[in-house]
Amino acid sequence: MSATAATASASVEPIFNTKPRGLWSTAFRRLFRRRSAIIGMIILAALILVALFAPVLATHDPVKSLIGIENVQKRQGPCIHWLGCPADQPQHYFGLDGNVRDLYSRILFGARLSLLVGIVSVGFAIVIGAFLGAISGYVGGWTDNLIMGLMDIMLAFPSLILAIAIVTVLGPGLINTLLAIGIVSIPIYARIMRSSVLAIKQQDYVMADRSIGVPTRRILFGNILPNALTPLIVQGTLGIAVAILDAAALSFLGLGAQPPTPEWGSMIGQERNQVFTAPHLIIFPGIALILTVLGFNLLGDGLRDALDVRQRS
Amino acid sequence: MLAIPVLLGILFITFILNRLIPGDPCRAMLGEKATDEVCDAFFKRYGLDQPPVIQFGYYLGRVVTGDLGDSMRFGRPVTDMLMERLPVTIELALLSLLVATVVGVILGVIAAYWQNSPIDVFTMIFANLGVSIPVFVLGLLSAYLFAVVLKETPIALPPSGRLTAGVRVEPIAVVWGQETLAGPLRGFLDFLSQMYVINGALTLNWKLFSDAARHLVLPVLVLSTIPMSVIARMTRSSLLEVMTLDYMRTARAKGLNERSVVFRHAMRNALLPVVTVVGLSLGGLLSGAVLTETIFGLTGVGRTMFDAISSRDYGVIQGFTLVIAFTYVVVNLLVDISYAVLDPRIRLG
Repeated sequence: MSATAATASASVEPIFNTKPRGLWSTAFRRLFRRRSAIIGMIILAALILVALFAPVLATHDPVKSLIGIENVQKRQGPCIHWLGCPADQPQHYFGLDGNVRDLYSRILFGARLSLLVGIVSVGFAIVIGAFLGAISGYVGGWTDNLIMGLMDIMLAFPSLILAIAIVTVLGPGLINTLLAIGIVSIPIYARIMRSSVLAIKQQDYVMADRSIGVPTRRILFGNILPNALTPLIVQGTLGIAVAILDAAALSFLGLGAQPPTPEWGSMIGQERNQVFTAPHLIIFPGIALILTVLGFNLLGDGLRDALDVRQRS
Repeated sequence: MLAIPVLLGILFITFILNRLIPGDPCRAMLGEKATDEVCDAFFKRYGLDQPPVIQFGYYLGRVVTGDLGDSMRFGRPVTDMLMERLPVTIELALLSLLVATVVGVILGVIAAYWQNSPIDVFTMIFANLGVSIPVFVLGLLSAYLFAVVLKETPIALPPSGRLTAGVRVEPIAVVWGQETLAGPLRGFLDFLSQMYVINGALTLNWKLFSDAARHLVLPVLVLSTIPMSVIARMTRSSLLEVMTLDYMRTARAKGLNERSVVFRHAMRNALLPVVTVVGLSLGGLLSGAVLTETIFGLTGVGRTMFDAISSRDYGVIQGFTLVIAFTYVVVNLLVDISYAVLDPRIRLG
């Protein structure tokens, strides 16, 4: 069969010599035409650089107290020499926290944790969710009802409350926060995957493959998954933003990353009663969180338009 | 009717999660020094000496009859605590949803109407920032702004609590001279009494009304920001989509003025997806309520849940989760129904 196909294509002269652009190259071109998506990508690129080069950029050790090392007060405000701070005072761009640690250095290192939490928990959720959704959509029947019923139940809980409950069961800590947020986000991806599978399953080319006896596993991974990928990528990018927010909220409540880990949410949570006297301890980690989440949201929105994913969830 | 298996599943999951929480509820409640005999009595009292399956069976039976069990920590019925704390959250969540919907739809319509104008760009920047600000950061910073920076100005606002010390609250039934009233109606009035704004309005107590409202401004502002941004974006994109449809050209061609084209013809279709978003926002509001109530010192459902989970107060966790999930399921049902009411294609199709 392949021999006939080869001779047939060889005898036909190509009408156009320009190669049609693939989905991804079209998507990238569209993405770079959108101002908000570009802003998102710039923010994220900067963030990734900060995370990678945190040890180089940091001026101090993020977890070491400066008591007895420098002549400074706890929760002292920012001191930047070229902005008029007296030269005899030690320089701290964002000021010091309640344990006399350099806030600027802590925030730089915090970028690592936020990116890690967002990407790992969403990655976990996508893998499990896509797997469950694929089975559910492809097999159908009772399996479908059971899996989707479970997903509906999980969706009936407000996500943060379910995440709090799971972290309480697993015990507080960064890894368990990651897991909890991952588990809570599974249903969205399972639903997306299932509806993609249901739609693609009916396509003629899948029918054709099935009729010539291609194994189910190859149909799922070879035909269906690539076509279901775009909505997963879009939702995943937006999902990272939500995951970072939820993780920060858990840490803020004292259930996530534990001190002295420089995690933005926990930094705010520890100093929240000092907001009236030392607002810089809330403002700077707050801005870091907002920028990170904004970056993923802008990129996600841009991807949705560029990949032309229509969905409502 | 899919709602009933979902509710059963919710009960089951809550029950299992509760039992998985590490630690001993007896020692969490009575202190580390509680003796084994005391703890045995404690377990017997709350039925914790039975096998889990039987505990779950008993629990189901009680729930069906409206008994949500007792709080081990406070030694009082969970339903009593719900009656006292649910109103706080309902008042906060409903006001936030109202503000979010009204302001969000208005902003979305403005942005779509003047598409690509500076006002559109500004609104969308606001909406993008709104979904990206963590609730607790916004809460703390607005508390700082309105309670410290603006302290001596007329728009200074209290950063915590529900009332200023000295402002008295009385049950509505008492103010109305119905002390002898009993039964469900009295229960309902007492429930309403806990919503101080409504209490103040119903009993014409201006002092209570204005003080409660002033305390609610910041929490509502904080809690409504995310749904407001989502609703504004949804309204804008949905309206823009509808505006490109053929019947809009027909409406313009037959000489209707722009206002009735937008408000009578476009809005009806454009608001359908917005209804869904409003309904779905409720889950986010309840999550946000945990943080908002923590920051602003309100003893509502969110704060109670958080406390109950950290002190392993099984009864409270189960009861409150059930009520929250139940509300959520019912609201989703209502959204589906409202869809049928709003959209003849679904009703007649």
